[in-house]
Amino acid sequence: MNLVNLQNTLDNISFAVLFITMLCYWVGTAFPNLTFLPKIGTTGMVIANLAVATLLIARWIEAGYFPLSNLYESLFFLTWGITAVHLIAENMSNSRLVGVVTSPVAMGITAFAALSLPPEMQHSEPLVPALKSNWLMMHVSVMMFSYSALMVGSLMAIAFLILTQGKEIQLRGSSVGTGAYRNVKKLSLNYKTESVILDIDNSSGNTAVLTKPTTEVISLTPEKLSLIDTLDNISYRIIGLGFPLLTIGIISGGVWANEAWGSYWSWDPKETWALITWLVFAAYLHARITKGWQGKKPAILAASGFVVVWVCYLGVNLLGKGLHSYGWFF
Amino acid sequence: MSISNSSQNISVNYSINWFFRKVITTIADLRLAILLLLIIAFFSISGTVIEQNQPINYYQENYPESPALFGFLTWQVLLAIGLNHVYTTWWYLSILVLFGSSLIACTFRRQLPALKAAKIWSFYEESRQFNKLALSAEVTTQSLDNINSIITQKGYQVYQNDHSLYAQKGISGRIGPIIVHIGMILVLLGAIWGAFTGFFAQEMIASGETFTIQNFLEAGKFSNLNHAQSFDIKVNNFWIKYTPDGAVDQFYSDLSVVNKTGEELERKTIFVNQPLRYNGITFYQTNWSISGVKIQLNNSTICQLPMVELTSERKGRIWGTWIPTKPDLSEGISLITKDLQGTMFLYDMEGKLISAVRPNMPVEVNGITLKVLDLIGSTGLQIKSDPGVPLVYLGFALLMIGVVMGYVSFSQIWALQEGDRYFIGGKTNRAQVAFEKEVYQILEQL
Repeated sequence: MNLVNLQNTLDNISFAVLFITMLCYWVGTAFPNLTFLPKIGTTGMVIANLAVATLLIARWIEAGYFPLSNLYESLFFLTWGITAVHLIAENMSNSRLVGVVTSPVAMGITAFAALSLPPEMQHSEPLVPALKSNWLMMHVSVMMFSYSALMVGSLMAIAFLILTQGKEIQLRGSSVGTGAYRNVKKLSLNYKTESVILDIDNSSGNTAVLTKPTTEVISLTPEKLSLIDTLDNISYRIIGLGFPLLTIGIISGGVWANEAWGSYWSWDPKETWALITWLVFAAYLHARITKGWQGKKPAILAASGFVVVWVCYLGVNLLGKGLHSYGWFF
Repeated sequence: MSISNSSQNISVNYSINWFFRKVITTIADLRLAILLLLIIAFFSISGTVIEQNQPINYYQENYPESPALFGFLTWQVLLAIGLNHVYTTWWYLSILVLFGSSLIACTFRRQLPALKAAKIWSFYEESRQFNKLALSAEVTTQSLDNINSIITQKGYQVYQNDHSLYAQKGISGRIGPIIVHIGMILVLLGAIWGAFTGFFAQEMIASGETFTIQNFLEAGKFSNLNHAQSFDIKVNNFWIKYTPDGAVDQFYSDLSVVNKTGEELERKTIFVNQPLRYNGITFYQTNWSISGVKIQLNNSTICQLPMVELTSERKGRIWGTWIPTKPDLSEGISLITKDLQGTMFLYDMEGKLISAVRPNMPVEVNGITLKVLDLIGSTGLQIKSDPGVPLVYLGFALLMIGVVMGYVSFSQIWALQEGDRYFIGGKTNRAQVAFEKEVYQILEQL
């Protein structure tokens, strides 16, 4: 079969599949008793992931180099990453809510790539000399995968913010370690809650000063994490996955630039925005271990990180300069 | 007198001490760190929005006095704040230094104590200690050994005495962030070191010529330029490889390092992504030009004429020269070309196209035979020395290792036997969901 025809079919198929997937997740959430819908959604994500992978491999075979040379290819690589990270997140959290936020984004990206991009931007182009290096594969693919992870993680933070909108929340899943403690009030044991010192190092045995309980210990059973706890924690873990990838991606870019042009950092807009992204998510990771900041404050940082990743990935193209530009069409 | 003096001294000492502690505590504060991260991010944005390092008239044109952008951002304000070179302004660098101090303070005030605390663990002695752990339960089992073998299988390191048990896993999750901070500090130090001791030069050299590095664009206060000029570089050849459809495939320069007596010390053909390194100085292929053309008029001797770049814009570069066809220079033709592929165009005095020629193809012009023998390219080299790179690379390596280690969640499990009652409980710092799953698996196995 002709590879070019295969590609044209595949990009439209992945768009259609993701569109149906999105509807399944949405309707499935609106009517929770239709349990088969989110299952179809998961299947849809798998199909879309495989379709995009096939599309990229077909391009790889056709062009003879790693298919990340222009906007079209990179958008599909991003879709592949988002669907892959979505499947990881859904599996980790066991919650179908993840798809409600990730599927529209994945669908939007494929729609843009397959329908809005002019055909001349969809063809694979020969690589410019500067990009002919083995570093290309390493640097770009790691960066794209980190974008995917950070996007999915911050989308989950947005979902978390929507779910907790206007509500006081008491979270367990904070990374200070306080999350590991019971909601003492709920356990009606007569502890003086103020005297429980919960600090970062929490070698809990020694620091927590407890007054003797007056009631006898009732049989202990573990306390389950709530839905928003799970959402919050998986968002953290997925961003935690994207952050090392972003770090490695930026560093590999720096080393490549130093090997090719003699400077590991030149403050080019893309570089700077990658740094900004890194700083914002570093702030998020630190906000999570700040006393009294659990829950919404870090989630707001993560949610704003979603915008920052997009500016870093696409916004910088509008400046249209440098090696990092994929080109644009207006 | 002396008594009151010394007591004053003590109180002064005391307040200085107090002040330092206060400063260090403030610098080590996490909220300050978060604020600094966001401030650096914010100011970095300005440098991507405003064009950096442009000539003054660029800013005069784009940021006029009236109407001022946002009502205040005129070109004078912009230049005064240094927004035309954000990343090298004193205030940006000061924030970076503060950030570095915060990193160091944080490592000593928070991370190392936290690591210590993770290493000083204790057995639980009373069942009520389990109450505060969310993931704790009273279980029925035969012995602590049973619990021990199950959690050992899960990869925990287990410590046990006759009635109590403690286990931990993922201490690398506590060490990782420390390594990240050390890596960051090394990168910052390496960058400072490089800025003071490195240099950056550019040269445009015609094929066949020899040069000493001279055109230094940047040089640090302590950089050793004599060392960089202690040898010469000979450009043996420069050529461009084109793809069949005429696009540039790759640029190549055949370079030799020669000493002052002309003896060859090293030789390498460089291309983009493949520089020449010599004595800590690196030569990168970055640019190219056409420097001259070799021609022969009738059967006279071969002469070489310089070519000049006619357009300054990057797109559609054109080079040209003027070839006299009469000894008194009263008549001549123009030769124009746009690359090193060999096709050249000849124009007469009126600007009319005479013909297109290729090397070694004779043409009759104004009654004489003109033969273009060769186009001579010149290579644009970027020459760089950055002694800070080893330190920066070490920092990079630590950053990458640390950041991956930091993904690991640090988990602890306690168990206690009280008569025939068994208690088990645990906590983790990152992967709450995965840890919950693990604890439930352990409980099921018991």
